[in-house]
Amino acid sequence: MAAAPTPDLEPVEPVDLDAPIRAIGTDLAARMPRPRAVSTARVERRMQELLISDPGLRAALFRFVDVRPACATPADVTRHLDELLEQAQDSKHARRATGITGRRFATRPVAALAATGVKQMAQRFIVGEDATDALPAITALWKRGVDATVDLLGEATVTEAEADRYAARCEDTLRALAQAAHHHPGRDVNLSVKVSALTPLLRRPEAPERGIEGAAPRLRHLLRVARDVGAHLHVDMESFDTREAITTLTLDLLAEPEFATGPSAGIVLQAYLTESDEHLQTLLDWAREHPRTHPFTIRLVKGAYWDHEVVQAAQNGWAAPVFTDRRECDRNFERLTKRLIDHAGPIKVAIASHNLRSIAHAAAYADARGVGNDDLEFQILRGLGDDTQAAIAATGRRVRCYCPVGDLVAGMAYLVRRLLENTANDSFLAAHAGGADTAELLEAP
Amino acid sequence: MTTFANEPLLELRREAVRNQALDALQALDAKLPLDVPMLIGEDVVTGRRLASVDPSAPARVVAYAHEATEQHAHQAIASAERGHRAWSRKPAADRAAALQRAADILRTRRLELAALAVREAGKPWAEADADVCEAIDFLVYYAQGAQQLDAGRSLLQLPGERNAMRYVGRGVTAVIAPWNFPLAIAAGMVSAALAAGNAVVLKPAEQTPACAKAVIDALHAGGVPLDALHLLPGGDEAGKALVADPRVHTIAFTGSCAVGLQILERAAKVVPGQHHLKRVIAEMGGKNCVIVDSDADLDDVVPGLLKSAFAFAGQKCSAASRALVHAAVADELAERLAGAVGTLRVGPAAEFATDVPPVIDVAAQQRIERYIASATPLAQGERRDDGFYVPPTIFAGLPADSPVVTEEIFGPVLSLETVASIEEACEAVDRSPFALTGGLFSRSPRTIEYVSEHTPVGNLYVNREITGAMVGRQPFGGGKLSGTGPKAGGPDYLLQFVEARAVTENTVRHGLVV
Repeated sequence: MAAAPTPDLEPVEPVDLDAPIRAIGTDLAARMPRPRAVSTARVERRMQELLISDPGLRAALFRFVDVRPACATPADVTRHLDELLEQAQDSKHARRATGITGRRFATRPVAALAATGVKQMAQRFIVGEDATDALPAITALWKRGVDATVDLLGEATVTEAEADRYAARCEDTLRALAQAAHHHPGRDVNLSVKVSALTPLLRRPEAPERGIEGAAPRLRHLLRVARDVGAHLHVDMESFDTREAITTLTLDLLAEPEFATGPSAGIVLQAYLTESDEHLQTLLDWAREHPRTHPFTIRLVKGAYWDHEVVQAAQNGWAAPVFTDRRECDRNFERLTKRLIDHAGPIKVAIASHNLRSIAHAAAYADARGVGNDDLEFQILRGLGDDTQAAIAATGRRVRCYCPVGDLVAGMAYLVRRLLENTANDSFLAAHAGGADTAELLEAP
Repeated sequence: MTTFANEPLLELRREAVRNQALDALQALDAKLPLDVPMLIGEDVVTGRRLASVDPSAPARVVAYAHEATEQHAHQAIASAERGHRAWSRKPAADRAAALQRAADILRTRRLELAALAVREAGKPWAEADADVCEAIDFLVYYAQGAQQLDAGRSLLQLPGERNAMRYVGRGVTAVIAPWNFPLAIAAGMVSAALAAGNAVVLKPAEQTPACAKAVIDALHAGGVPLDALHLLPGGDEAGKALVADPRVHTIAFTGSCAVGLQILERAAKVVPGQHHLKRVIAEMGGKNCVIVDSDADLDDVVPGLLKSAFAFAGQKCSAASRALVHAAVADELAERLAGAVGTLRVGPAAEFATDVPPVIDVAAQQRIERYIASATPLAQGERRDDGFYVPPTIFAGLPADSPVVTEEIFGPVLSLETVASIEEACEAVDRSPFALTGGLFSRSPRTIEYVSEHTPVGNLYVNREITGAMVGRQPFGGGKLSGTGPKAGGPDYLLQFVEARAVTENTVRHGLVV
């Protein structure tokens, strides 16, 4: 990696983005379905409102969703639901609900309902149990002009055998998707991988070299498979504890001569990290020194481990590595968006956000800089931003859907994380569901 | 008064911080071996030299301690009796200020002290740093607590009388400290006694005298008079003399159950010329169980158990020794744990990559190896022979009377037992003579409540590792044969080191309340 940061490209003329941001944002919003148009959507929205306004119930339901896969019998399901609702004593909705779950004859119906509810919720976010199972949902996206990236959910990797199994699933998925993609010209094959699943040794933040040594052989193999089948391999970012190891591993492997011509590959930049500016500099310097046949892709995300980072830092007496002010984080996202788009070409930019303002801002700046679909795509999480995804696709911009694949047990951690995000008080989606108007949503952070 | 906050841990996930730690280690190595004389009042006393070595590389001598004899113990106690008079009369705020200054000194030396614990105790960096931080925490926490205690407690007041209760130090306190938290526990017991107004004689573990001296030096430099704090390095002789001496009022001990019981017995005997009852504060062993319910998240259980059982090679009184696993998840957990043990790296404490460091000395190594050889392991980690290493080992399904199941091993050994229900698990915990720490992995609120009510342990940890108690957050200590339960790092600890005196004054004169 480069020691001295090199300056950015030529200085960029300041452009007035306010008007185009409003225009693009209003256009996108207009393409999303009205809440009243679909009755199931309305029920869902009411549920979402309820959870936002009732933290006790929210906590109880999250805990239930979390434990549901570990419940072996209907009685077990009902017992947990009942206990968790009982615990949420400050919630009148929960109190009312225990009136039902507490009745003895209610066990089976409640369990069935609760099990179905969790399953349905999971299916909204998870496209299938495995690659074959997920193919119909993925090809449906392809047909609508939407790209996909597949993320294989699984239990935590604590043994070498589990790491081997995850790597094998990744390989199978790459091959199955590549096979299916033959019938969909213009669409690509794209897999997102988690380094923490490729080795049990990433657990030691003070010894990143161990995680790197552990994951390198498996990731190298997957890079070869991806190259052979013409797929893109994207390395996901995880908690800050593992950031150094994931970054070093990815950049070092991609710098190996055999990968200069392929596969297409990328990494993630987390805008909620206060040091993300320097992280981007490292990535840009590396990309400059390692020209690739397929430009190195950088996916800009807000970051999904905010609570974890804040709690861990507070318990250890550290400064949190993340912005604790949401607007500051949003402003950083826009700054990084600009820097990325300024470097489009040598790198490929992916903007992963459900925030209408962030999306409109990236689109407006890309337009101003003449950066198009070849160098820029938007990314949306399956189940969370389906309307946004459809709207982006309808405006002719490139959009990719992040599609988790896995069974219910494996999907729970993911599901809980998404649910928390979706009903957090300051969540963009919550604001949207709460009926905030478009102009408000498009205000500069 | 400022509110207490734990000393921030080193952020070892950052490379720059790791490099600073390694620099400190290099600087320390250049100074080895250190010299640890006896400190008796104004006198720096030498004697027969006793080496403390690096468990990761036994050829490296970390320090030469000068072994205290019975005679030295008597001299130290005589000096402490004199020192006690002045120290106990000092305002509590002055004593607290000395402790706070000592904490500041430890802060400025924290990397050096962590490096010393790495070398002398074989503690891996994260654990060694936590040891330094806990030492600082104890000094600050007890300094603050002693000032609050000095204000006394409010009593019922009636017309015509004025009632007050205040706390005073008891007298000479003998502190007998262990090697496994060579900085923190020594600092904790010593500073609690000092803050409460007692003079102290410290007898540190013979394996870690240099760590103890670092704590004592900081306290002296912070303003604790030389005759209020004494250091007697060495073996059993001085410790036994301290326990038996009629001039000692309080004995604070952390160590094995066997030694703790001997101290309690010896201290109970009132000898001619002794005009007080000795108080013993004892933190002894554990045989700590983690209960795993059928609804536990095994993704959390595996790392939680690895950390609880094998970090610092299981040499913490709080370490997990038994896992009582619900039959519904027993096979899966056993398979995953067995695989996970194979990923643990056994190695020198100074290497950041090490998961399991060596044990403290060759005697410990041989003792633990005997337990390991007594049955067939389910899984075992790496073996090494260039230090006092013991492979991390997991047993499963041993008979209930196996020594591996019943005795405190104090090493990297975990026994898995299958239970049919949470009730059965709680009964098994109850049958143990120890009650120090315990763990529960469950996602059922009622199970958590049930176990909280039915477990006798002093510290129950739910859905997390069972080690790493923090000062002010997890007051530490257990009941049954695990100790006298004083709860170090908690709001009641200082009460062990004081006597309460109530004064009632009649305020009626000539029939008038004045």
